[in-house]
Amino acid sequence: LVAEPRVLRIPALLGSVPILAAVVREEGEAEGLGEDALIDLELAVVEAANNIVAHGYADAAGSIELRAVRDTGLLIELIDVGSPIPASLLDNPPTVGPDAERGRGLAIIRSCVDRLDYERDGETNRLRLFKARG
Amino acid sequence: MNVASFEHRGDILHVRIETERLDAAAAPNLKAALERQLSDKPNRAIVDLRQVAFLDSTGLGVLVAMLKMMDQPGILAIAGAGPAVRRLLQITQLDRVFRLFDTPDQAQAALGG
Repeated sequence: LVAEPRVLRIPALLGSVPILAAVVREEGEAEGLGEDALIDLELAVVEAANNIVAHGYADAAGSIELRAVRDTGLLIELIDVGSPIPASLLDNPPTVGPDAERGRGLAIIRSCVDRLDYERDGETNRLRLFKARG
Repeated sequence: MNVASFEHRGDILHVRIETERLDAAAAPNLKAALERQLSDKPNRAIVDLRQVAFLDSTGLGVLVAMLKMMDQPGILAIAGAGPAVRRLLQITQLDRVFRLFDTPDQAQAALGG
């Protein structure tokens, strides 16, 4: 049995991203993810949401919807209508040197999830981050 | 509330981060505070992260910026990193750039303060 998805929407502001992080932790704990998996999924979702605010919407007004689906792990879907993520960046995140102050987000997301899918559907971006239980 | 407090112990600058989430929302304030406090370019500093439960890549970028603000070659030690902070340092391999200690006192002793 798959639980009903939990859905919430936040304004696309850096200061609102911790709301998403808290929901990821709650749903992950309810699904029985261990602390290491919770750390990774929280980090991946925060990096993805920060990117939506800073790059997708380029700090303009907008919103981010989160859907959390518990099914042998936790699937987090982030939905926004900002600019698309360039496919080349997502498939091959840039590697940066130790003195770079930015540019690590996508590589961190890739390292922290078991599955990452992205689709652009009309004006809508859907990024799915999955972390398996156990 | 200040995002960090600053103290000199001998030649070593101690920076205590006073926010639970050192994230993209908090990073600009910290960077501005560091730019004011590091104008004398110390070459050894300890960042106390005992209060920080969560660090993201933007917060981490400010610590990289801090190292670059220091007199070169500078030593930046991180004290009291919890599991989430350690995980990010490991993924990004910046655990090879910053020296990690359990407590500020241990870092102070190791840096020769």
